Amino acid sequence: MKVGIPKGLLYYDYQPFFHTFFEELGAELIVSSDTNKDILDKGVKYCVDEACLPVKVFHGHVAEIKDQCDLIVIPRIMQLRKREFICPKFCGLPEMVINSIPDMPRATMAPLYALSKERLFQWAKVVGKEVTHNTAKLSKAFEAAVECQSNYKKGIDDDSYPIKVALSGHPYNIYDNFINMNIVNKLKKLGVGVVTEEVIDEDIKNREVSKLYKKPFWSFARNNYSFTSHMADQKLVNGIIYISSFACGIDSVVIELIKHNIEDFPLLVLKVDEHTGEAGLDTRIEAFVDMLERRRS
Amino acid sequence: MYYLGVDVGSVSTDLVILDQDKQVKEKLYLRTKGKPIAAIQEGFRVLMNKYEKAEIAAVGTTGSGRQIASTLVGADAVKNEITAHAVAALDADDEVRTIIEIGGQDSKIIVIKNGIVTDFAMNTVCAAGTGSFLDRQAERLEIPIEEFGDYALQAKTTVRIAGRCAVFAESDMIHKQQMGYNEGEIIRGLCEALVRNYLNNVGKGKEIQSKVFFQGGVAANKGMKAAFEEALGITVAIPEHYNMMGAIGAALIAKDKVEKTGSTNFKGFDLAESVFSANSFECQGCSNNCEVVKIQENEIVIGCFGDRCGKWSNKLAV
Repeated sequence: MKVGIPKGLLYYDYQPFFHTFFEELGAELIVSSDTNKDILDKGVKYCVDEACLPVKVFHGHVAEIKDQCDLIVIPRIMQLRKREFICPKFCGLPEMVINSIPDMPRATMAPLYALSKERLFQWAKVVGKEVTHNTAKLSKAFEAAVECQSNYKKGIDDDSYPIKVALSGHPYNIYDNFINMNIVNKLKKLGVGVVTEEVIDEDIKNREVSKLYKKPFWSFARNNYSFTSHMADQKLVNGIIYISSFACGIDSVVIELIKHNIEDFPLLVLKVDEHTGEAGLDTRIEAFVDMLERRRS
Repeated sequence: MYYLGVDVGSVSTDLVILDQDKQVKEKLYLRTKGKPIAAIQEGFRVLMNKYEKAEIAAVGTTGSGRQIASTLVGADAVKNEITAHAVAALDADDEVRTIIEIGGQDSKIIVIKNGIVTDFAMNTVCAAGTGSFLDRQAERLEIPIEEFGDYALQAKTTVRIAGRCAVFAESDMIHKQQMGYNEGEIIRGLCEALVRNYLNNVGKGKEIQSKVFFQGGVAANKGMKAAFEEALGITVAIPEHYNMMGAIGAALIAKDKVEKTGSTNFKGFDLAESVFSANSFECQGCSNNCEVVKIQENEIVIGCFGDRCGKWSNKLAV
């Protein structure tokens, strides 16, 4: 059985889990390519117009591999933490894709609640049955996948640069180098190191969000708010760059919250959409770096 | 000795020559018309009759076309517009605290404290409220853009126009026209809408302190200046060379650079007579399929742009 895994949205956070789970089940994996122009074009062609760029890009990844696989994994990620939610588009992602892209193979429809190992297993049981009816094998694959995910370390923490910025935003905007026009390399060329949210631990996140009037409703809000707040407050970086998809509803609130919190700490918000011309992004980054250099000296 | 600054923007290409005392000796304001190379050549044809190559001690480029301009002229400094505008404004008046700059497709706010840029913002992916939008509306109303501001100032009343989006603004303007409002009132309403949009968007959360400089091509529009002053409740100053500030900044930055390095990369004015061609192709090297633009001068490739990996652009870096 051929199982397709689109390299979009939270793939960047949970790839070890999905890869291991389906491999251990005995499926052959068909993983889409890194995002490229063809994937972007396909995504824009199929996806509803109002969606944000990362959701369009996800559609493009599905379209690239759909004809090569028997089952396609479209994780309907509902919750990662108690009393917190992901973007509403994630909850309806399977329907969005199935109704937009013609001639789809079967897709995983089960909701995924990663609140505990038990809840996550609910998803694995339903989805795993598409590949095997051997329950022992399924349990073993699930254990291996959870184990592999827990050993997964990602994140950037460049220490060897005189100027550092905290790179904040949703993971797919930070790690998809096509969407963000390879911003990490651009910054390196300008002599600027990058730090991402993975460097701070749960205790710090809890402490930072406890200062808010109300607990954040969204997991993305919790991560980005606490990360930027901590980095600015402790002056661990010279500035913050926030990459945000054009028309993102969550970010429209989160960015205001961050601005209000960090006051006059340097912040650059970069909006990304279908643009492939890089002049606009370059101008903003270069000017921001110029400013950080002068503020420092 | 002279210092040359070239600002290749979306709407205009500006060339400026500064003398030893950083005074503007020559300025050219040309329309880019989507052909940056032709615009630079046009400027150089004017300059080549007045100046010798050896008289130019430094060249700087800026604007969204700064890379292409740098390849053509042999720039000593290639700088983003924010820094260039701030440098020029501070040189003109060291008391400036806020710079409002509205160009062809960008609008910016720059906040300065103790002589350094401490904060800035630019419009996001949308070009509402910028010069190219005003250009388009002037064209639609068949009013020369130079007279746009006068129309606004003559209006006794104003009309509310939606300012958040250029498309919404245009449909709102048309609806108001059909209701019988005159051109002056509509243009004044448009200026107010653009200012409202600027302050709510680009200027949001920024402390706008005196002295305020209003620069960029749109500063020529008196209606915009009046609308800013009314909204802010303070005087807005327009520097003498308001539409040349980017180019002046680029020349000043290049001057500093050459004072450190000791020599210029300037290729001379001959490029005015060269034959340039720009061809684009889709690179098949990987799945990114970058659109690469190849610039040739007299059939010799002088530069490539647009590739993400640097396969083409690095090969020809001079």
